[in-house]
Amino acid sequence: MNSLRIARAAIRARPALLRAPVQRRGYAEAVSDKIKLSLSLPHQAVYKSQDVVQVNIPAESGEMGVLANHVPSIEQLKPGVVEIIEESGNKQFFLSGGFAVVQPNSVLSINAVEGFPLEDFSAEAVRSQIAEAQKVASGSGSEQEIAEAKIELEVLETLQAHLK
Amino acid sequence: MTFAWKAAGLTYNRYLAVASRVVRRSLKEEKRLAAERRGVSEIRFAKWSNGKQGELKNLEQANAAAAVESAAQGGQ
Repeated sequence: MNSLRIARAAIRARPALLRAPVQRRGYAEAVSDKIKLSLSLPHQAVYKSQDVVQVNIPAESGEMGVLANHVPSIEQLKPGVVEIIEESGNKQFFLSGGFAVVQPNSVLSINAVEGFPLEDFSAEAVRSQIAEAQKVASGSGSEQEIAEAKIELEVLETLQAHLK
Repeated sequence: MTFAWKAAGLTYNRYLAVASRVVRRSLKEEKRLAAERRGVSEIRFAKWSNGKQGELKNLEQANAAAAVESAAQGGQ
């Protein structure tokens, strides 16, 4: 017991930088630096509790990146691009809006109504719809029609910005 | 924070439906055809009173009518 105490004192005496990591004793480092992502749509589970490195989400409160051990929070999503960074590369999905729930223990659930990879969109369809929505938004329709056209415009403009 | 659509009397549900509809319409042709089928609903409903079935209505049309009414009242 006495010799152990001396050994410990010796370790403490050395500057922290010199302490080699091999000599450190502690619990097994089973904690992963990955976050478990579930990206679900009503008709499809795109990711099912899969380990990824980072997820960038377009929250209403601003763009945010979620890594492992993120503070638990609930974020409303704007229609926009979710970027998923995996070890094998990055993937981008355009989601039509929904919620992202960051749960404790590095679990992230994203729920959206529609979500597609960016390459599934047609730039031409977006352009023609923007023209149409602009006409309705500045036209003399009912308040509801104008509000809906403005929602469409917002979605389409975000989509167009990402398609370039 | 108040959203423009909220101020116009739309519900969050309606907002999401509009946003999703426009996302589906922006897809490339073959994907769009498969996806647009998801936006269609054919639910009908009827109100029963005094043991008698009332008029059969299409849920989507009834919802749209309710949204117009709510928008006219400024989303209260």
